Amino acid sequence: MKFLLDFLDKERPKYHKGGWREKIEPLFEAGDGFLFTRDKVTAKGSHVRDALDLKRLLITVIWGIMPCFLFGIWNAGHQYNLNTVGIEPGFVADVLRGLFIVLPVVIVSYGVGGFWEVLFSCVRKHEINEGLLVTGLLFPLVLPPTLPLWQVAVAVSFGVVIGKEIFGGTGMNLVNPALMSRAFLFFAYAKYIVGDVWIATGETAIDAYSGATPLGIIANLPEGTSAVQALNDAGYSFTSMAIGSMPGSIGETSAIACAFGAALLIVTGVASWRIMLSCVVGLLGVSTLAKISGVVGMGQIPPYYHLVMGGFAFGAVFMATDPVSATATNLGKWIYGFLIGALVAVVRIWNPAYPEGVMLSILFMNVMAPMVDYFVVEYHVKRRLKRG
Amino acid sequence: MSKTYRIKKGFDIGLAGRPLTELSDASAGSTVAVYPLEYTGFKQRLKVTEGDAVKRGTELLENKKNVRLKICSPASGKIKKIIRGERRFVEKIIIETDESGEAERFGQYTADKISGLSKDDVINQLLSTGYMAFIRQRPFGGIADPEASPKSVFVNAMNTGPFQVDATVAVGVDAEGFQAGLDILTRLTDGAVHLCVGPEAGEVLKQASNVQVHVFKGKHPAGNTSVHISKIEPMASTDVVWTAKAVDVVLIGRLFLDGELPTTRVIAIGGPGVKKEFCKHYRVNIGGELGGLLSDALVDGEQRLINGDALTGETVEASPSLRLQQSALTVVPEGRTRQFLGWVEPGFNQMSFSRLCASTFIGGRNRKWKLDTNTHGGVRAMVFTGYYDKVMPMNIMVDYLVRAVLAGDTDESISHGILETLPEDYALCEFICPCKMELQEIIADGLKMIEEEGI
Repeated sequence: MKFLLDFLDKERPKYHKGGWREKIEPLFEAGDGFLFTRDKVTAKGSHVRDALDLKRLLITVIWGIMPCFLFGIWNAGHQYNLNTVGIEPGFVADVLRGLFIVLPVVIVSYGVGGFWEVLFSCVRKHEINEGLLVTGLLFPLVLPPTLPLWQVAVAVSFGVVIGKEIFGGTGMNLVNPALMSRAFLFFAYAKYIVGDVWIATGETAIDAYSGATPLGIIANLPEGTSAVQALNDAGYSFTSMAIGSMPGSIGETSAIACAFGAALLIVTGVASWRIMLSCVVGLLGVSTLAKISGVVGMGQIPPYYHLVMGGFAFGAVFMATDPVSATATNLGKWIYGFLIGALVAVVRIWNPAYPEGVMLSILFMNVMAPMVDYFVVEYHVKRRLKRG
Repeated sequence: MSKTYRIKKGFDIGLAGRPLTELSDASAGSTVAVYPLEYTGFKQRLKVTEGDAVKRGTELLENKKNVRLKICSPASGKIKKIIRGERRFVEKIIIETDESGEAERFGQYTADKISGLSKDDVINQLLSTGYMAFIRQRPFGGIADPEASPKSVFVNAMNTGPFQVDATVAVGVDAEGFQAGLDILTRLTDGAVHLCVGPEAGEVLKQASNVQVHVFKGKHPAGNTSVHISKIEPMASTDVVWTAKAVDVVLIGRLFLDGELPTTRVIAIGGPGVKKEFCKHYRVNIGGELGGLLSDALVDGEQRLINGDALTGETVEASPSLRLQQSALTVVPEGRTRQFLGWVEPGFNQMSFSRLCASTFIGGRNRKWKLDTNTHGGVRAMVFTGYYDKVMPMNIMVDYLVRAVLAGDTDESISHGILETLPEDYALCEFICPCKMELQEIIADGLKMIEEEGI
């Protein structure tokens, strides 16, 4: 790899002060840093450093997302083939079709998001942050596969610029940028997102097929029918929902794939198990209360069904645990996660207008996170002073 | 009876080249050097010029802010060169030694007499020899203020950092001097003198009298004085506490027993940049050249010499002399090699506190690592990863403290406990920081700001 290293060394001065390329130095540095580890040495202080950097941290998150991503590709293709062609064309055909559906979305998400990231880095003259690697992949996975690409581009622009860059970039943002993008779509182009999820676009809109998600089925439950019965009639059991071969957003249908991701993130210590666990506790707690107190409709499904329905698993594992927008204190994490889970259950069970509440619950708690932390920190400081 | 404290949080980085407890004598060179900048807060007034003849103990500089505090020559001879640095500060004074060994006389006391000395007698002698610099004051960690009345004195005889001198070895060469030094310290406070030792401390430490002995078990930073203070006698906001290192207490004791400046001290030399057989303890002339010793000891390649340990020390010049307050020299190779697509690598050969490198799962925790000075990543905005608090054994929320300091909020920093700590207490946090922040520098700036503003 010597020749490449020599080439980079020869190119580097061109990006330093003076040349026109000075303005895109962060781009050069990012490429350089992508190819080779840095030769930068410590100045003082701790003369030796841990091998972990933010890049490795975020790339581990990407590995964690991979099960959902791969399953999502297959599932998107599978649902399309199943519902438009009407036959089961087999694994390879499903994957190929899935790639055809999903890859453009991912490419647009990374491309447009990357453009903003590079632009802001160049203007601000700091290194390009790897945070986009995660945002750019998380965002496509919470989208319905049928979304027009221009909407993907608009939404990711909004999420990255308004959700993150105006606050100063990765590390300074208030809310999760991927969810911010999703929320933007939800409010700006509601008809593409709300209600039945489009499985995949056909040649014309008329060819497209819409299938109801499990949450949608229960939300439109005819009076007098039991929720579980309605799910079973539509072909959904707990197991099938956990596996996730059903219509839904690209990456979030399979709770099992999320569980694989969660396992990696917890073993490596990248994401907070406290948040994941307390999300589950909050969700089960409130839905159990609803079941006991006899709330009809959604309230009557067994509480653990909630874990595998909709985007809860994906949200709890990948979205709620974003270290920048979540709470930072340990006690705060318990409170934050619990309230996300509880809010999801409240929206699902008592809100007649919209059957799913994961996105808004997490965004709401993102906004509340600094306040939760504030009280936890105040409590900590008060205890310190008492001791002294 | 000593009390044992277990420190649960912490981390040993497993740096290769731990100094053995074996002690050798290093050959003396023809010059000694004085580094006035190691006296923090010392406003220099030079009292000698090049060519002057000096004895061991002759005043070289005095402190303009308190003229009683001097910096003295560690050996007799002739001033060879005075090297000035930024803003004309004297950085280094080189003295060509002679054979005469003439020494200035200071007060000499027998071991019995020492316990009868007044605080003023002790302070005067410490100031006029410059040995006051061995005693530091909390908060802020500067040279102890002679006017202050410390609540207690903490003596640190531990070496959990990578690497510090083994107090058992350093004290073992002069147990009499150590005990005398401890007795001197008892004259300085109405409170107790606490001697904090590790679980492997030798009898020479555990048997010390007139002090309270405390045993601290645990990983680094269990050996940091801030941790000891917080466990034994937490500081209130108005408290003043003095601290010293056991290895320096020996010298203080020797000064009072002999009535002249001691000539040697013990240092540990180690680190991955030193050949294995040279990683041990040495008795070196104070101010003496280390170049001769290092010319054989260093591993080939570009090396960084560090005064102190690899986490907190300061870089020194290529052929250094022993600083008065130096008790360790750690050598680490410079890490300028670049690796192709390093981020893909699972990390079998990379050392990390986190569980993100494969080495963690295949026995990396027990390995000895030849770490270098590479930063392993670029500086990023601070992200709350929760790693800092895992290696902070004190009741401090490091993330919030750092943010308070960065925001310039002194009140908030104080309520988060910054005054109970020194920058060195954040060295491990800095080591593991994935955002590669300079936490020690940030905390040092925060402390400086508070010191200037007043508490």
